[in-house]
Amino acid sequence: MYIKTAYSTKGTSDDVIQDLKSQLSGFDTKMLVYFASSRFAPNIISQKVQDAFPGAAVFGCTTSGEIVTGKMLKNSLVAMAFDATAVNDVKVEVVENPKNENSVRKAFANFEAYFKTPMSELDPSKYVGMIFVDGLSGAEEKLIDKIGDLTNVTFIGGSAGDDLKFEATYVYANGKSYSNAAILAVVKPGVPFTFIKTQSFCDLGKKLVVTKANEEKREVIEFNDKPAANAYAEALGVAVEEAPNRFMHNPVGLVIEGTPFVRSPQRVKGDHMIFYCGVTEGMELNILESTDIIEDTRKAIEQAKKDLGGISGIININCILRTLELDQKQLTDDYGKLFADIPTIGFSSYGEQYIGHINQTATMLVFK
Amino acid sequence: MAGKIKQMIDSIINQRAKDNPMLVGVIKSKLMLKGIDPNKFTASSDDDPAIIAKLEAVMKDLK
Repeated sequence: MYIKTAYSTKGTSDDVIQDLKSQLSGFDTKMLVYFASSRFAPNIISQKVQDAFPGAAVFGCTTSGEIVTGKMLKNSLVAMAFDATAVNDVKVEVVENPKNENSVRKAFANFEAYFKTPMSELDPSKYVGMIFVDGLSGAEEKLIDKIGDLTNVTFIGGSAGDDLKFEATYVYANGKSYSNAAILAVVKPGVPFTFIKTQSFCDLGKKLVVTKANEEKREVIEFNDKPAANAYAEALGVAVEEAPNRFMHNPVGLVIEGTPFVRSPQRVKGDHMIFYCGVTEGMELNILESTDIIEDTRKAIEQAKKDLGGISGIININCILRTLELDQKQLTDDYGKLFADIPTIGFSSYGEQYIGHINQTATMLVFK
Repeated sequence: MAGKIKQMIDSIINQRAKDNPMLVGVIKSKLMLKGIDPNKFTASSDDDPAIIAKLEAVMKDLK
């Protein structure tokens, strides 16, 4: 076993750390990824987890609920440990002020110095990037966009949560906690890996073209040259007042090769619409309708298992809106059980990243 | 003037993907997420300065 998971629901951070150490005792941890409820004091938990695994690269973030093999949890800490067979090499960088392009360039310069290869030349079949971002920074689009310009290595991850308080989210690395920051890790796995990006929606075939937007504020002013909220409501055949009730069930998506990159509406502001992720003028979005999260996720896992010939670990970043939908439909246990036979950790996130910044999606890094 | 956008898109895809079909798809997706749909531009498409500026920024990082 070269990947091992642990979790703890104990009360104090000291007890949680002891629990974690005991579960991972005897395992030679080279890299540890962890996700912790916002109930833990960020500066304390980050220091304690690093101290517990002094020789390892340790990083993670706060959550709005955690996922571990077979279960969805709350108020816990979940961790995945990798030994040197699973992870041959890893370099972790903290990007403070992630909206600033120069912060990303600095991190990439450090990656290049470490791997002694330009990031534009690093082989995406041998390396993978992990990204965890302050979920309230609003920086994700710029960050993942710049990363995508600088390298072909796939970065996958998500935006930290804070148990739906929307007050402060943190990312963790090097024994410290950071806000208005992102953790980037470039990993050279020793085993094959793949990605899952799964969202449970069908395309209703109704187009909304962004004709006027305030991209910085994730605000659509007009769709199809009409006030955004009116155009959205009209496309669904409902009154404008009814539109917000449809947001979770009917988000919009940029459909690429038949697969939606979901942009979820957050609220109506006047007759504009505010989204949970960026939309750009000229973008053609399709109205989506939710389908079956359990079945779609099951199929995605089965496909990954088939592609790799087995799975030894999954890091699952699952959108908080999916978690809320599962809660509403009393399917939380069923979702957890999809991962019953696979060492898994994950968390409910305020946004997901895979190629771009997306919503209402689960992004998963899967190891053979 | 026309056709510059298509030319720039092709150049970005060629330089970044180096004939790897999987990477061609990823780079097209990245462009679409920037609001530039590669399939919509032909040799006769107008040279929209806003789109050209976005593509120039991408090309700068190729150097």
